[in-house]
Amino acid sequence: MARRITVVVSQGQSANPDKRKLEEDLVAALLFEQGIEVAVIPHLYDLAPGSTGMLCLQGIPGDMVVLSWLFPRAAHWTLDRSGIRGRFGQTLLVSDEEEDEDEPEEAAETAADDKQRVGPRNLPNRTMYHVDLRSRNQAAPFVDEIKRIASESTVQTVSLGSWPLSSTSGGSTVSSPLVINVLGGSPANGNGNGTGSTAAPSSDVPPAVENPLITPGGPIRIEETPARRWYPVIDYSRCTNCMECIDFCLFGVYGVDGQETILVEQPDNCRKGCPACSRVCPENAIIFPQHKTPAIAGSPVENAGGLKIDLSQLFGAPSAIEIAAQERDGELVAVGREAVGLTVGIPKRQEGKQAEPKDDLDSLMDQLDSLEL
Amino acid sequence: MSEELVFMMGQFAARVPTDRRYSKNHMWAKPSARETSSERQTNGSELRFGFSAYAVRLLQDVYFLDWTVDAGTVLRERQEIGSIESSKAESSLYAPIAGRLTEFNQSLLSDPSTINVDLYGDGWLFAIEGDGESLLYPEEYLVHLEAAWKIAERTIKGQMNE
Repeated sequence: MARRITVVVSQGQSANPDKRKLEEDLVAALLFEQGIEVAVIPHLYDLAPGSTGMLCLQGIPGDMVVLSWLFPRAAHWTLDRSGIRGRFGQTLLVSDEEEDEDEPEEAAETAADDKQRVGPRNLPNRTMYHVDLRSRNQAAPFVDEIKRIASESTVQTVSLGSWPLSSTSGGSTVSSPLVINVLGGSPANGNGNGTGSTAAPSSDVPPAVENPLITPGGPIRIEETPARRWYPVIDYSRCTNCMECIDFCLFGVYGVDGQETILVEQPDNCRKGCPACSRVCPENAIIFPQHKTPAIAGSPVENAGGLKIDLSQLFGAPSAIEIAAQERDGELVAVGREAVGLTVGIPKRQEGKQAEPKDDLDSLMDQLDSLEL
Repeated sequence: MSEELVFMMGQFAARVPTDRRYSKNHMWAKPSARETSSERQTNGSELRFGFSAYAVRLLQDVYFLDWTVDAGTVLRERQEIGSIESSKAESSLYAPIAGRLTEFNQSLLSDPSTINVDLYGDGWLFAIEGDGESLLYPEEYLVHLEAAWKIAERTIKGQMNE
Protein backbone atom coordinates (compact mmCIF):
# COMPACT_ATOMS: atom_id res chain seq x y z
CA MET A 1 0.00 0.00 0.00
CA ALA A 2 1.25 3.45 -0.84
CA ARG A 3 2.38 5.50 2.06
CA ARG A 4 0.85 8.80 2.78
CA ILE A 5 2.73 11.88 3.75
CA THR A 6 1.36 14.36 6.24
CA VAL A 7 1.78 18.07 5.78
CA VAL A 8 1.65 19.99 9.04
CA VAL A 9 0.92 23.69 8.83
CA SER A 10 2.17 25.36 12.00
CA GLN A 11 0.38 28.69 12.19
CA GLY A 12 2.23 31.89 12.95
CA GLN A 13 1.57 33.91 16.06
CA SER A 14 1.00 37.02 14.02
CA ALA A 15 -2.42 38.01 12.74
CA ASN A 16 -0.76 39.42 9.63
CA PRO A 17 -3.32 38.73 6.89
CA ASP A 18 -0.60 37.99 4.34
CA LYS A 19 0.78 35.23 6.55
CA ARG A 20 -2.64 33.82 7.34
CA LYS A 21 -3.53 33.87 3.67
CA LEU A 22 -0.38 31.95 2.75
CA GLU A 23 -1.25 29.30 5.35
CA GLU A 24 -4.82 28.96 4.10
CA ASP A 25 -3.79 29.00 0.43
CA LEU A 26 -1.49 26.09 1.17
CA VAL A 27 -4.17 24.15 3.01
CA ALA A 28 -6.59 24.71 0.14
CA ALA A 29 -4.05 23.72 -2.50
CA LEU A 30 -2.96 20.56 -0.70
CA LEU A 31 -6.36 19.34 0.32
CA PHE A 32 -7.09 17.56 -2.92
CA GLU A 33 -3.64 16.17 -3.55
CA GLN A 34 -3.60 12.40 -3.56
CA GLY A 35 -1.61 10.84 -0.78
CA ILE A 36 -1.24 14.06 1.19
CA GLU A 37 -2.91 14.67 4.52
CA VAL A 38 -3.08 18.11 6.00
CA ALA A 39 -3.04 19.10 9.66
CA VAL A 40 -3.25 22.69 10.87
CA ILE A 41 -1.84 23.31 14.32
CA PRO A 42 -1.00 26.39 16.40
CA HIS A 43 2.59 27.64 16.40
CA LEU A 44 4.47 24.43 17.21
CA TYR A 45 7.00 26.05 19.54
CA ASP A 46 4.19 27.09 21.88
CA LEU A 47 2.59 23.65 22.10
CA ALA A 48 2.81 22.34 25.65
CA PRO A 49 3.43 18.66 26.40
CA GLY A 50 0.10 16.85 26.43
CA SER A 51 -1.72 19.58 24.53
CA THR A 52 -4.08 18.56 21.77
CA GLY A 53 -1.75 19.93 19.12
CA MET A 54 1.20 17.98 20.50
CA LEU A 55 -0.81 14.77 20.74
CA CYS A 56 -1.94 15.28 17.18
CA LEU A 57 1.66 15.58 16.01
CA GLN A 58 2.75 12.59 18.05
CA GLY A 59 0.00 10.57 16.42
CA ILE A 60 1.09 11.22 12.87
CA PRO A 61 2.75 8.17 11.37
CA GLY A 62 5.21 8.18 8.52
CA ASP A 63 6.97 10.97 6.74
CA MET A 64 6.04 14.50 7.57
CA VAL A 65 6.45 17.89 5.95
CA VAL A 66 6.31 20.61 8.57
CA LEU A 67 5.60 24.13 7.35
CA SER A 68 6.34 26.65 10.06
CA TRP A 69 7.47 30.21 10.58
CA LEU A 70 10.70 28.89 11.99
CA PHE A 71 14.10 27.93 10.73
CA PRO A 72 14.11 24.22 9.76
CA ARG A 73 16.66 23.36 12.44
CA ALA A 74 14.57 25.10 15.09
CA ALA A 75 11.41 23.27 14.08
CA HIS A 76 13.18 19.92 13.78
CA TRP A 77 14.77 19.96 17.21
CA THR A 78 11.74 21.48 18.89
CA LEU A 79 9.72 18.48 17.76
CA ASP A 80 12.57 16.09 18.58
CA ARG A 81 12.36 17.18 22.23
CA SER A 82 8.74 16.01 22.27
CA GLY A 83 9.62 12.65 20.77
CA ILE A 84 8.45 13.58 17.28
CA ARG A 85 11.52 12.34 15.49
CA GLY A 86 12.83 11.33 12.15
CA ARG A 87 15.71 11.83 9.77
CA PHE A 88 16.29 15.44 8.78
CA GLY A 89 14.97 15.65 5.24
CA GLN A 90 16.53 17.95 2.68
CA THR A 91 14.25 20.59 1.32
CA LEU A 92 15.21 22.40 -1.85
CA LEU A 93 13.22 25.44 -0.80
CA VAL A 94 15.47 27.84 1.03
CA SER A 95 15.23 31.57 1.42
CA ASP A 96 17.06 33.74 -1.07
CA GLU A 97 19.80 34.74 1.36
CA GLU A 98 20.60 31.11 1.98
CA GLU A 99 20.62 30.14 -1.65
CA ASP A 100 24.29 30.98 -1.97
CA GLU A 101 25.12 28.49 0.72
CA ASP A 102 26.16 25.13 -0.61
CA GLU A 103 23.84 22.68 1.14
CA PRO A 104 24.22 24.31 4.54
CA GLU A 105 22.38 21.54 6.38
CA GLU A 106 24.62 18.92 4.91
CA ALA A 107 27.63 20.91 6.00
CA ALA A 108 26.26 21.08 9.50
CA GLU A 109 25.65 17.36 9.66
CA THR A 110 29.12 16.48 8.55
CA ALA A 111 31.13 19.06 10.42
CA ALA A 112 34.69 18.34 9.48
CA ASP A 113 36.17 17.71 12.86
CA ASP A 114 36.68 14.74 15.12
CA LYS A 115 34.37 15.93 17.86
CA GLN A 116 31.97 13.43 19.26
CA ARG A 117 28.42 14.65 18.71
CA VAL A 118 25.44 13.40 20.62
CA GLY A 119 23.77 12.76 17.30
CA PRO A 120 20.34 11.33 16.60
CA ARG A 121 18.80 8.91 19.04
CA ASN A 122 15.86 6.52 18.79
CA LEU A 123 15.15 7.59 15.24
CA PRO A 124 12.11 5.94 13.74
CA ASN A 125 12.30 4.98 10.09
CA ARG A 126 10.85 8.12 8.67
CA THR A 127 11.89 11.51 7.40
CA MET A 128 10.85 14.92 8.64
CA TYR A 129 11.02 17.69 6.08
CA HIS A 130 10.99 21.19 7.49
CA VAL A 131 10.09 24.15 5.33
CA ASP A 132 10.39 27.74 6.49
CA LEU A 133 7.24 29.63 5.48
CA ARG A 134 9.28 32.81 5.38
CA SER A 135 11.25 31.56 2.39
CA ARG A 136 8.56 32.44 -0.19
CA ASN A 137 5.55 34.76 -0.39
CA GLN A 138 3.34 32.62 -2.58
CA ALA A 139 1.83 29.20 -2.04
CA ALA A 140 2.84 27.75 -5.43
CA PRO A 141 6.55 27.13 -4.75
CA PHE A 142 5.66 25.44 -1.46
CA VAL A 143 3.11 23.21 -3.15
CA ASP A 144 5.63 22.23 -5.82
CA GLU A 145 8.22 21.40 -3.19
CA ILE A 146 5.72 19.37 -1.17
CA LYS A 147 4.77 17.38 -4.27
CA ARG A 148 8.44 16.75 -4.95
CA ILE A 149 8.96 15.57 -1.37
CA ALA A 150 5.84 13.43 -1.53
CA SER A 151 7.08 11.64 -4.64
CA GLU A 152 10.56 11.26 -3.16
CA SER A 153 9.08 9.90 0.03
CA THR A 154 6.85 7.45 -1.81
CA VAL A 155 9.54 6.21 -4.16
CA GLN A 156 11.90 5.61 -1.30
CA THR A 157 9.61 3.36 0.63
CA VAL A 158 7.22 1.73 -1.80
CA SER A 159 7.84 -0.48 -4.78
CA LEU A 160 6.62 1.21 -7.90
CA GLY A 161 4.24 -1.60 -8.71
CA SER A 162 1.96 -0.77 -5.84
CA TRP A 163 2.34 2.93 -6.13
CA PRO A 164 -0.73 4.21 -8.02
CA LEU A 165 -3.34 5.29 -5.56
CA SER A 166 -5.52 7.31 -7.88
CA SER A 167 -7.51 4.28 -9.03
CA THR A 168 -8.80 3.48 -5.56
CA SER A 169 -10.90 6.51 -4.92
CA GLY A 170 -12.46 9.35 -6.80
CA GLY A 171 -10.98 11.83 -4.44
CA SER A 172 -14.05 12.22 -2.29
CA THR A 173 -12.48 10.67 0.78
CA VAL A 174 -9.19 12.42 0.47
CA SER A 175 -8.55 13.22 4.09
CA SER A 176 -10.79 11.07 6.18
CA PRO A 177 -8.48 8.16 7.03
CA LEU A 178 -5.97 10.24 8.88
CA VAL A 179 -8.63 12.31 10.59
CA ILE A 180 -9.91 9.12 12.12
CA ASN A 181 -6.49 7.85 12.94
CA VAL A 182 -5.22 10.90 14.68
CA LEU A 183 -8.31 12.00 16.44
CA GLY A 184 -9.18 8.52 17.55
CA GLY A 185 -5.79 8.35 19.18
CA SER A 186 -5.71 11.85 20.52
CA PRO A 187 -6.62 13.00 23.98
CA ALA A 188 -8.46 9.86 24.95
CA ASN A 189 -5.75 7.22 24.73
CA GLY A 190 -2.64 9.06 25.65
CA ASN A 191 0.18 8.40 23.28
CA GLY A 192 -1.86 9.29 20.24
CA ASN A 193 -0.53 6.48 18.16
CA GLY A 194 -3.99 5.57 17.02
CA THR A 195 -4.71 2.47 15.10
CA GLY A 196 -2.39 2.83 12.16
CA SER A 197 -3.14 4.13 8.73
CA THR A 198 -5.55 1.45 7.69
CA ALA A 199 -8.81 2.92 8.93
CA ALA A 200 -11.54 2.34 6.41
CA PRO A 201 -12.00 5.28 4.09
CA SER A 202 -15.73 4.61 4.01
CA SER A 203 -16.17 5.41 7.69
CA ASP A 204 -17.12 9.05 7.85
CA VAL A 205 -17.99 8.95 11.52
CA PRO A 206 -14.83 8.91 13.58
CA PRO A 207 -14.70 7.14 16.92
CA ALA A 208 -14.26 10.36 18.89
CA VAL A 209 -17.55 11.83 17.81
CA GLU A 210 -17.52 14.44 20.56
CA ASN A 211 -14.35 15.88 19.16
CA PRO A 212 -15.28 19.17 17.47
CA LEU A 213 -12.10 19.38 15.41
CA ILE A 214 -13.31 17.18 12.62
CA THR A 215 -14.32 18.59 9.33
CA PRO A 216 -15.12 15.57 7.21
CA GLY A 217 -12.99 15.61 4.09
CA GLY A 218 -11.11 18.68 5.33
CA PRO A 219 -7.84 19.12 7.11
CA ILE A 220 -7.30 18.36 10.75
CA ARG A 221 -7.53 21.59 12.63
CA ILE A 222 -6.32 21.99 16.17
CA GLU A 223 -8.07 25.07 17.43
CA GLU A 224 -6.31 25.87 20.66
CA THR A 225 -4.59 29.08 21.62
CA PRO A 226 -1.58 28.05 23.66
CA ALA A 227 0.20 30.57 25.85
CA ARG A 228 3.46 31.88 24.46
CA ARG A 229 6.47 29.89 25.61
CA TRP A 230 10.21 30.58 25.74
CA TYR A 231 12.80 27.83 26.14
CA PRO A 232 16.00 26.53 24.54
CA VAL A 233 16.10 23.70 22.00
CA ILE A 234 19.20 21.54 21.59
CA ASP A 235 20.45 20.57 18.14
CA TYR A 236 21.96 17.17 18.91
CA SER A 237 23.66 17.02 15.53
CA ARG A 238 25.92 19.76 16.88
CA CYS A 239 25.88 19.15 20.64
CA THR A 240 29.02 17.53 22.05
CA ASN A 241 27.58 17.05 25.54
CA CYS A 242 30.23 19.39 26.95
CA MET A 243 27.89 20.51 29.77
CA GLU A 244 28.81 24.18 29.56
CA CYS A 245 25.13 25.13 29.33
CA ILE A 246 24.19 23.23 32.47
CA ASP A 247 27.07 24.89 34.30
CA PHE A 248 26.13 28.33 33.07
CA CYS A 249 22.35 28.37 33.51
CA LEU A 250 21.40 29.11 37.11
CA PHE A 251 17.68 28.60 36.62
CA GLY A 252 17.63 24.82 36.46
CA VAL A 253 16.58 24.54 32.83
CA TYR A 254 19.08 21.83 31.94
CA GLY A 255 19.47 18.30 33.21
CA VAL A 256 20.84 14.98 32.06
CA ASP A 257 19.02 11.82 31.05
CA GLY A 258 19.74 8.25 32.06
CA GLN A 259 22.68 8.09 29.66
CA GLU A 260 24.22 11.28 31.07
CA THR A 261 23.22 13.18 27.96
CA ILE A 262 22.31 16.83 28.31
CA LEU A 263 18.67 17.70 27.89
CA VAL A 264 16.31 20.61 28.38
CA GLU A 265 14.72 19.20 31.48
CA GLN A 266 12.62 22.11 32.75
CA PRO A 267 11.95 24.27 29.68
CA ASP A 268 9.50 26.52 31.45
CA ASN A 269 12.08 27.47 34.10
CA CYS A 270 13.71 29.51 31.36
CA ARG A 271 13.66 33.27 31.70
CA LYS A 272 11.67 34.88 28.93
CA GLY A 273 13.81 36.63 26.35
CA CYS A 274 17.11 35.38 27.81
CA PRO A 275 19.28 33.58 25.23
CA ALA A 276 22.44 33.58 27.38
CA CYS A 277 23.17 29.82 27.34
CA SER A 278 23.00 29.88 23.56
CA ARG A 279 25.83 32.39 23.53
CA VAL A 280 28.08 30.26 25.73
CA CYS A 281 27.53 27.07 23.73
CA PRO A 282 30.80 26.42 21.88
CA GLU A 283 29.02 24.55 19.07
CA ASN A 284 26.08 26.89 18.55
CA ALA A 285 23.89 23.91 19.32
CA ILE A 286 21.38 25.78 21.48
CA ILE A 287 18.52 27.34 19.59
CA PHE A 288 16.00 29.90 20.80
CA PRO A 289 13.63 29.72 17.86
CA GLN A 290 11.96 33.05 18.63
CA HIS A 291 15.10 35.12 19.13
CA LYS A 292 15.67 38.02 16.76
CA THR A 293 19.26 37.05 15.96
CA PRO A 294 19.13 34.43 13.20
CA ALA A 295 22.20 32.57 14.49
CA ILE A 296 20.46 32.10 17.86
CA ALA A 297 17.09 31.32 16.26
CA GLY A 298 18.57 28.36 14.37
CA SER A 299 19.41 29.75 10.96
CA PRO A 300 21.01 27.07 8.81
CA VAL A 301 24.11 29.14 8.19
CA GLU A 302 27.00 28.03 10.31
CA ASN A 303 28.37 30.52 12.79
CA ALA A 304 30.10 33.07 10.64
CA GLY A 305 32.74 33.55 13.30
CA GLY A 306 35.46 31.86 11.31
CA LEU A 307 34.61 33.54 8.03
CA LYS A 308 34.08 37.20 8.75
CA ILE A 309 35.46 39.57 11.30
CA ASP A 310 32.70 41.05 13.41
CA LEU A 311 33.79 44.63 13.84
CA SER A 312 31.23 45.40 16.51
CA GLN A 313 33.70 44.09 19.10
CA LEU A 314 36.14 46.68 17.89
CA PHE A 315 33.57 49.36 18.46
CA GLY A 316 33.03 48.40 22.04
CA ALA A 317 30.52 45.56 21.94
CA PRO A 318 31.00 43.03 24.72
CA SER A 319 31.97 39.48 23.86
CA ALA A 320 29.36 36.77 23.61
CA ILE A 321 30.36 35.49 27.04
CA GLU A 322 30.12 38.97 28.55
CA ILE A 323 26.72 39.51 26.97
CA ALA A 324 25.61 36.14 28.27
CA ALA A 325 26.78 36.97 31.79
CA GLN A 326 25.01 40.34 31.65
CA GLU A 327 21.82 38.73 30.46
CA ARG A 328 22.04 36.12 33.18
CA ASP A 329 22.69 38.77 35.83
CA GLY A 330 19.66 40.70 34.64
CA GLU A 331 17.48 37.62 35.07
CA LEU A 332 18.99 36.76 38.47
CA VAL A 333 18.35 40.27 39.79
CA ALA A 334 14.84 40.18 38.37
CA VAL A 335 13.98 37.28 40.65
CA GLY A 336 15.71 38.80 43.68
CA ARG A 337 18.92 36.79 43.47
CA GLU A 338 22.43 38.13 43.38
CA ALA A 339 24.26 38.88 40.18
CA VAL A 340 27.25 36.59 39.72
CA GLY A 341 28.93 38.23 36.75
CA LEU A 342 31.67 36.08 35.28
CA THR A 343 32.31 34.09 38.46
CA VAL A 344 29.99 31.12 37.94
CA GLY A 345 29.76 28.56 35.16
CA ILE A 346 31.89 30.43 32.67
CA PRO A 347 33.01 28.14 29.86
CA LYS A 348 36.25 26.38 30.42
CA ARG A 349 37.58 27.53 27.09
CA GLN A 350 37.87 31.00 28.57
CA GLU A 351 40.28 29.77 31.20
CA GLY A 352 43.89 30.70 30.68
CA LYS A 353 42.89 33.26 28.12
CA GLN A 354 44.69 36.02 30.01
CA ALA A 355 47.94 34.15 29.74
CA GLU A 356 48.01 34.40 25.99
CA PRO A 357 50.23 37.10 24.53
CA LYS A 358 48.33 40.08 23.28
CA ASP A 359 47.83 40.26 19.58
CA ASP A 360 47.14 43.29 17.42
CA LEU A 361 43.44 43.22 18.10
CA ASP A 362 44.06 43.15 21.85
CA SER A 363 46.25 46.22 21.57
CA LEU A 364 43.65 47.97 19.45
CA MET A 365 41.02 47.14 22.04
CA ASP A 366 43.22 48.50 24.80
CA GLN A 367 43.63 51.72 22.90
CA LEU A 368 39.90 51.97 22.45
CA ASP A 369 39.42 51.36 26.16
CA SER A 370 41.82 54.13 27.05
CA LEU A 371 39.84 56.54 24.91
CA GLU A 372 36.93 56.05 27.34
CA LEU A 373 34.34 56.34 24.62
CA MET B 1 -16.41 64.10 29.11
CA SER B 2 -12.64 64.32 29.27
CA GLU B 3 -11.20 67.07 27.14
CA GLU B 4 -8.65 66.35 24.51
CA LEU B 5 -6.03 68.07 22.47
CA VAL B 6 -5.42 67.28 18.83
CA PHE B 7 -2.21 66.96 16.89
CA MET B 8 -2.47 67.08 13.12
CA MET B 9 -0.39 64.47 11.29
CA GLY B 10 -1.01 65.78 7.81
CA GLN B 11 -4.74 65.26 7.35
CA PHE B 12 -5.02 62.93 10.32
CA ALA B 13 -6.10 64.28 13.70
CA ALA B 14 -4.34 62.43 16.52
CA ARG B 15 -6.32 62.74 19.73
CA VAL B 16 -4.42 63.52 22.91
CA PRO B 17 -6.78 63.17 25.89
CA THR B 18 -5.89 65.43 28.80
CA ASP B 19 -6.82 62.97 31.53
CA ARG B 20 -3.42 61.27 31.40
CA ARG B 21 0.26 61.84 30.78
CA TYR B 22 2.59 60.75 28.01
CA SER B 23 6.04 59.30 27.51
CA LYS B 24 8.44 60.49 24.86
CA ASN B 25 8.21 57.13 23.14
CA HIS B 26 4.55 57.76 22.42
CA MET B 27 2.74 55.92 25.14
CA TRP B 28 0.06 57.28 27.40
CA ALA B 29 0.15 56.63 31.15
CA LYS B 30 -2.66 56.60 33.63
CA PRO B 31 -2.88 55.32 37.19
CA SER B 32 -4.14 51.73 37.13
CA ALA B 33 -7.74 51.13 38.02
CA ARG B 34 -6.67 48.87 40.85
CA GLU B 35 -4.37 51.53 42.23
CA THR B 36 -7.35 53.02 44.01
CA SER B 37 -7.96 49.86 46.01
CA SER B 38 -6.00 49.73 49.23
CA GLU B 39 -4.58 46.24 48.69
CA ARG B 40 -1.43 47.51 47.07
CA GLN B 41 1.21 48.97 49.35
CA THR B 42 4.13 50.01 47.22
CA ASN B 43 6.70 52.71 46.88
CA GLY B 44 5.85 53.82 43.40
CA SER B 45 2.39 54.05 41.96
CA GLU B 46 1.19 51.64 39.32
CA LEU B 47 0.72 53.19 35.93
CA ARG B 48 -1.02 51.67 32.98
CA PHE B 49 0.54 52.35 29.59
CA GLY B 50 -0.75 52.21 26.03
CA PHE B 51 0.10 53.60 22.61
CA SER B 52 -0.86 57.19 21.85
CA ALA B 53 -3.00 57.93 18.81
CA TYR B 54 0.14 59.26 17.17
CA ALA B 55 1.90 55.90 17.56
CA VAL B 56 -1.10 53.90 16.37
CA ARG B 57 -1.48 56.12 13.33
CA LEU B 58 2.12 55.35 12.39
CA LEU B 59 1.69 51.64 13.04
CA GLN B 60 -1.83 51.24 11.66
CA ASP B 61 -3.26 47.70 11.93
CA VAL B 62 -1.42 45.79 14.65
CA TYR B 63 -0.83 42.14 13.75
CA PHE B 64 1.48 40.86 16.42
CA LEU B 65 2.76 41.82 19.81
CA ASP B 66 5.46 39.98 21.66
CA TRP B 67 7.05 40.65 25.03
CA THR B 68 10.57 39.52 25.79
CA VAL B 69 10.31 40.01 29.54
CA ASP B 70 8.01 38.44 32.09
CA ALA B 71 5.70 40.26 34.46
CA GLY B 72 7.61 41.06 37.63
CA THR B 73 10.75 42.18 35.82
CA VAL B 74 12.44 45.35 37.04
CA LEU B 75 13.11 47.58 34.05
CA ARG B 76 15.55 50.32 33.28
CA GLU B 77 14.18 53.25 31.33
CA ARG B 78 14.31 52.47 27.60
CA GLN B 79 15.13 48.82 28.21
CA GLU B 80 13.96 46.69 25.32
CA ILE B 81 10.87 44.79 26.39
CA GLY B 82 9.29 43.44 23.24
CA SER B 83 8.40 43.95 19.63
CA ILE B 84 5.45 44.77 17.45
CA GLU B 85 4.44 44.04 13.90
CA SER B 86 1.78 46.02 12.10
CA SER B 87 0.58 46.59 8.58
CA LYS B 88 3.04 49.44 8.20
CA ALA B 89 5.92 48.76 10.50
CA GLU B 90 7.97 46.50 12.66
CA SER B 91 9.58 47.82 15.77
CA SER B 92 11.13 46.89 19.05
CA LEU B 93 9.40 48.31 22.10
CA TYR B 94 11.13 49.97 25.03
CA ALA B 95 10.21 50.71 28.62
CA PRO B 96 8.75 54.23 28.90
CA ILE B 97 9.93 54.62 32.51
CA ALA B 98 12.03 52.67 34.97
CA GLY B 99 10.16 50.45 37.40
CA ARG B 100 8.72 47.01 37.97
CA LEU B 101 6.56 45.67 35.19
CA THR B 102 3.55 44.27 37.00
CA GLU B 103 1.18 43.14 34.30
CA PHE B 104 0.74 42.71 30.56
CA ASN B 105 -2.61 43.02 28.84
CA GLN B 106 -2.93 39.32 28.08
CA SER B 107 -5.89 39.66 25.75
CA LEU B 108 -3.72 41.54 23.24
CA LEU B 109 -1.54 38.48 22.69
CA SER B 110 -4.31 36.60 20.95
CA ASP B 111 -6.03 39.66 19.51
CA PRO B 112 -3.79 42.70 19.18
CA SER B 113 -6.39 44.52 17.07
CA THR B 114 -7.89 45.91 20.28
CA ILE B 115 -5.04 48.42 20.10
CA ASN B 116 -6.65 49.83 16.97
CA VAL B 117 -10.19 49.59 18.27
CA ASP B 118 -9.78 51.18 21.69
CA LEU B 119 -6.29 52.57 22.03
CA TYR B 120 -6.98 54.76 25.04
CA GLY B 121 -8.96 52.08 26.88
CA ASP B 122 -9.01 48.29 26.45
CA GLY B 123 -5.99 48.50 24.15
CA TRP B 124 -3.63 49.24 27.06
CA LEU B 125 -0.33 47.40 26.87
CA PHE B 126 1.12 46.89 30.33
CA ALA B 127 1.38 48.33 33.83
CA ILE B 128 4.56 49.51 35.52
CA GLU B 129 5.06 50.27 39.19
CA GLY B 130 7.42 53.20 39.19
CA ASP B 131 7.98 56.90 39.29
CA GLY B 132 6.06 58.65 36.53
CA GLU B 133 7.34 62.13 37.35
CA SER B 134 9.35 62.33 34.14
CA LEU B 135 6.23 61.81 32.03
CA LEU B 136 4.99 64.68 29.92
CA TYR B 137 1.78 66.59 30.45
CA PRO B 138 -0.49 66.66 27.39
CA GLU B 139 0.62 70.17 26.42
CA GLU B 140 4.26 69.12 26.68
CA TYR B 141 3.58 66.00 24.63
CA LEU B 142 2.11 68.16 21.90
CA VAL B 143 5.32 70.19 21.76
CA HIS B 144 7.28 66.92 21.68
CA LEU B 145 5.10 65.73 18.79
CA GLU B 146 5.87 68.82 16.72
CA ALA B 147 9.53 67.84 16.67
CA ALA B 148 8.91 64.08 16.52
CA TRP B 149 6.58 64.37 13.55
CA LYS B 150 9.16 66.24 11.48
CA ILE B 151 11.68 63.48 12.14
CA ALA B 152 9.11 60.75 11.50
CA GLU B 153 8.16 62.28 8.17
CA ARG B 154 11.81 62.35 7.15
CA THR B 155 12.34 58.79 8.34
CA ILE B 156 9.33 57.46 6.49
CA LYS B 157 10.22 59.26 3.27
CA GLY B 158 13.84 58.20 3.59
CA GLN B 159 12.94 54.55 4.01
CA MET B 160 10.42 54.63 1.19
CA ASN B 161 13.03 56.02 -1.17
CA GLU B 162 15.51 53.31 -0.38
